[in-house]
Amino acid sequence: MHRADPGSFRDPASHIVFDGDRVVRLLDERGLQGWNALSETSFFARATAEGRLIGAARLDRAPEGAVGALEHPRLRFISYPFEWTFSMLKDAALLQLDLLAEALAEGITIKDATPYNIQFVSGRPMFIDIGSFEAYSDGEPWIGYRQFTRQFLFPLLLRAHVGIAFQPWLRGNPEGPTAAEMRSLLGFWQRLKPSTLLHVSLQARMEERMSGAPIREQLKTAGFGVELILANIRKLRRLVERLEWTGSAEGWIEYESCRHVGRDREAKSEFLREAIEAHKPRRVIDLGANDGHFSEIAAAAGSLTIAVDGDEPVLDAIYRERSQVSIVVSDLTNPSPSQGWAGVERPALAERAQPDLVIAYGLIHHLIYTASIPPSAVLDWLADFGCPVVLEFVSPDDEMVSKLTANKTEAELHPGRSRIEFEEELARRFETTGSRTLGEGTRVLYRLRALAG
Amino acid sequence: MFFGYLDAGSGSLILQAILGGAAGILVAFKAWKARLVGKKAVADTQADIEPTDS
Repeated sequence: MHRADPGSFRDPASHIVFDGDRVVRLLDERGLQGWNALSETSFFARATAEGRLIGAARLDRAPEGAVGALEHPRLRFISYPFEWTFSMLKDAALLQLDLLAEALAEGITIKDATPYNIQFVSGRPMFIDIGSFEAYSDGEPWIGYRQFTRQFLFPLLLRAHVGIAFQPWLRGNPEGPTAAEMRSLLGFWQRLKPSTLLHVSLQARMEERMSGAPIREQLKTAGFGVELILANIRKLRRLVERLEWTGSAEGWIEYESCRHVGRDREAKSEFLREAIEAHKPRRVIDLGANDGHFSEIAAAAGSLTIAVDGDEPVLDAIYRERSQVSIVVSDLTNPSPSQGWAGVERPALAERAQPDLVIAYGLIHHLIYTASIPPSAVLDWLADFGCPVVLEFVSPDDEMVSKLTANKTEAELHPGRSRIEFEEELARRFETTGSRTLGEGTRVLYRLRALAG
Repeated sequence: MFFGYLDAGSGSLILQAILGGAAGILVAFKAWKARLVGKKAVADTQADIEPTDS
């Protein structure tokens, strides 16, 4: 019995279904032709061996209604471009361009160019949509060029040239900014840079002038050839490679300089190792992962570890160190919801994470004091994961809490913040299986097991 | 070749030729000119078959 992947339906030639734990790609006649062309290339063997392209094996028998079927390895965690850091989207863009250039050299093209076709496996980007490949016909342009600019290049330009985070934009509109929108966002001098002049300003102008006009046949007759696509890819690659975002180092240094971080780090690490040893989680989510130190401990113990934080520069630094951790940029007071077509195409973060252990170190005081979430609501949320939690409590007299509440009066804060009140709330939802008081006594670690029902 | 489920955008398609460099600019110009000739031919045909007021 097959279960359709709610995120795989746009291409009529190829879509994913789940057969239990197996991932199966169903192909129609055109999809099968694409697979036959791809599987014979040396590019396919090379890219899959290098982990840049997902593996695929033809199944002897296709399920009813399909002309052919492939099986793919199952990915353990899916993240979306609006949860990636700048460097992740940049590496994904370079992978997209490299694969297209290599495929074209062997007569194959990629018919779209969306970061949703790329996932991060062991900290590196992997192209996962085998159905996007098909034979290239002489004289055809690169169909995915506009999509590449909207979903890769413009979000990167938005961050690098305009200083605006691309994640909220891509979460609000997964198609990405249009060339006309990008033109409006760029300053006068930025519009005149050679890169933006062509890909943004000229594209916007030509889109306005030629909307809906048939041009494909005219291009072919005029002598359009693959060498023009390859020249465009080479220039785009140089452009993307040079894009830098200088926000990276600042967040990292700021976090490292916090006094409590160094003071409590070893005790918190040890407490976490004990919890991992006790529960042996397959999947761990580190909520408020900061510099990823505790995520790395879980990953080193063999758990698939998802590091979630709203601080993109810090997560970007983790990614650039080639961490094995799965990175998610998300504000925990507003985590990625279920969205897309029919509200189910892109499942919510909690649904994708499915952890066996939750790490909530250095987190709840930010939720309670900065985001004004009632302590009981924070605990309800943690209990909803339905698995053990390693939690750091921060009392109202902690140095960091004093900073967070410097401009707040008692009446503006939720009740239930003291250690006694907090432990009463804990007992309603969890069994405490371990605890440890840290440093000056204002911070307490708890190992918790959710109560049934 | 099937033209895909993706809207590639006419302006973006012709821009690709320009982005390909000097040789591509000539291709883009030829394609653009061919489109103008095509549009004119359609307009002339319509003018021939549409009744005129006298």
